[in-house]
Amino acid sequence: MKLSEAVVGVRNSRVWRSVFRAGTGDTNLHRSLAVQQNVFMHLASVKVRRRALDFGVTWYLGTLSLGCFLILVVTGILLMLYYHPSVPQGYADMKDLQFVVSAGVFLRNLHRWSAHAMVLLVFAHMFKVFYRGAYRPPREFNWVVGVVLLMLTLFLSYTGYLLPWDQLAFWAITVGSNIMSAVPLMGAKTRFLILGGNTVNANALLRFYVLHCVILPLIAVVFLAVHFWRIRKDGGLHTGEKTHE
Amino acid sequence: MPGEAKKACSGACEECSRRRFTAVGLGAVAIAGAGSAVFGYSFLSPNALYEPSPIVDAGKPDRYPLDSVTPDVASGLYIVHRAEGIYALSAVCTHLGCLTAWKPDLGIIACPCHGSKFHADGIKFEGPAPRPLPWLKTWVNDDGNLLIDRSEPLTQKQFVRI
Amino acid sequence: MSEPKDFTASMDSDSHRTPVRVAFVTRRTSPHVEARDDKNVMTYPEVLLRAAVAVEVLLLGLVVWSLFWDAPLEGLADPMLTPNPAKAPWYFLGLQELLHYFPPVVGGVIIPTLVVMALIVIPYFGINIEAEGFWIKDREKKMRVLGSVAVALVAFLAWFNVYAVLIPTVLIAGIMFLGAFASPKPGRLRRWLDSKPLSFWIMSWFLTAAIILTAIGTFFRGAGWAWVMPWSAE
Repeated sequence: MKLSEAVVGVRNSRVWRSVFRAGTGDTNLHRSLAVQQNVFMHLASVKVRRRALDFGVTWYLGTLSLGCFLILVVTGILLMLYYHPSVPQGYADMKDLQFVVSAGVFLRNLHRWSAHAMVLLVFAHMFKVFYRGAYRPPREFNWVVGVVLLMLTLFLSYTGYLLPWDQLAFWAITVGSNIMSAVPLMGAKTRFLILGGNTVNANALLRFYVLHCVILPLIAVVFLAVHFWRIRKDGGLHTGEKTHE
Repeated sequence: MPGEAKKACSGACEECSRRRFTAVGLGAVAIAGAGSAVFGYSFLSPNALYEPSPIVDAGKPDRYPLDSVTPDVASGLYIVHRAEGIYALSAVCTHLGCLTAWKPDLGIIACPCHGSKFHADGIKFEGPAPRPLPWLKTWVNDDGNLLIDRSEPLTQKQFVRI
Repeated sequence: MSEPKDFTASMDSDSHRTPVRVAFVTRRTSPHVEARDDKNVMTYPEVLLRAAVAVEVLLLGLVVWSLFWDAPLEGLADPMLTPNPAKAPWYFLGLQELLHYFPPVVGGVIIPTLVVMALIVIPYFGINIEAEGFWIKDREKKMRVLGSVAVALVAFLAWFNVYAVLIPTVLIAGIMFLGAFASPKPGRLRRWLDSKPLSFWIMSWFLTAAIILTAIGTFFRGAGWAWVMPWSAE
């Protein structure tokens, strides 16, 4: 039996059909159902305008930002297996990742560089969307969701920056948290709550760890879902060309 | 028709009581939410902090010769001995909390983060720092040791005479 | 026209009663096609395939980068020793550069808050969908208002010696006002300048200032946040 026949056999089996109800076939109906009947894919539209796929329209910056996010989730979860959010163990774990753990230094590098790339790509995505005019009605709400996602990206980077507990991390967070206390009236109190103390210390490390690994990623996933869903709801990607209503 | 009128009335009353129920329910949820916010706030503020004591023992005052500025890096302060007496100056920059450094060859205090510069009496002469470096409460205890309270900035200059 | 009509035309905004819109093409006008319907492609597999390839290329690039360049790791955090210079990650260095010029409330709170608020309101005001010339309507009034805003901004920046932002401000405002002075024969460049909405100029100003501030903070700041040339050895 040829491989392709085996694949068709599996896809026509009762088990496969119970999971993917769209069925096999290369008709547009089957392809539509493949998107429509998938809980993750149904955020996207079944068809897109041909021109929206041209490289020059989007430079694929949004797709690449999502790619960075996925890489960061995978490498981040793996790094969590070797990281203790405590002082000074957190720093010792960095050294272990570098010299003891197999491929540890590679995973940490990939996580760090992907984070930098994501910040760069999200900023570039924002400016590309602006200069393409894709922020205009009816897409104005999705632009606001995008601004929230930009903020979340920066907060995720900032909270992750403290976790290695090295000199760079400590002083960047010291300076950053003192900016917070410059906010009139509630600044000093906010800083105290976020750091869990008066100085950047073990409490601050633990709070930043929870924010970085649990709270902020969860919020980001929710906003990402809204962001993708609104692309479909707002009439697909803006291609910059006039089309029939 | 009388039957229809009755039905409409009962529908309206049902609507009315449902609305009332919703209003009371929303009020209860709002109160519970406010209570949770208060509990959440107090949960997030730690009651015990395992941070070093703000009071520092700087040893015998004669360790600090006249016209000297001695940085105590571990405690984040400077002990300055002038003709008027001894005083302690916080070394934490009033701008964004970086630790400043004493430059003996220039006779100034400089912050590495954003370039603020101070005189040895804490007055800023360059950079973005909004306030001078605060003077800290300083006194001599019964053992003759110099004690400094880092949590209490002074509002006016005060020297410890030996 | 004296032709007999077998219909009556009327306006109606109730979409339940008149769900179909009809275009009447009279003899004097002709249907003008501005754009045709775009061709569509199926999301599965066309879009998914392209997205997968894009992400794979990105992953490949990042993996190669990570194999050859190690992420920075300095010494153990030491509250008693501030490194000199103490730098934030690159994407915050523009903000850190601002903090060098302004007091923390201005540089760290007011300016970032204003930037975020401006980003949020951009799609809600001054939408120039028709790409109508910015200076065509209310030219005098716009020039007065924008001129005074630009002068106030320049004065504010000069007061704090923020030449790194002052120069792009003057440049962008200058290019913007170039469109206001109509020439007898507007060329392509002039028409292009004139077609841009106000938000375009604000965004370009923000982008230029952000790039310049970030570049200065990253490459031109050394010990004590003093100005250094990137090629001069420490």
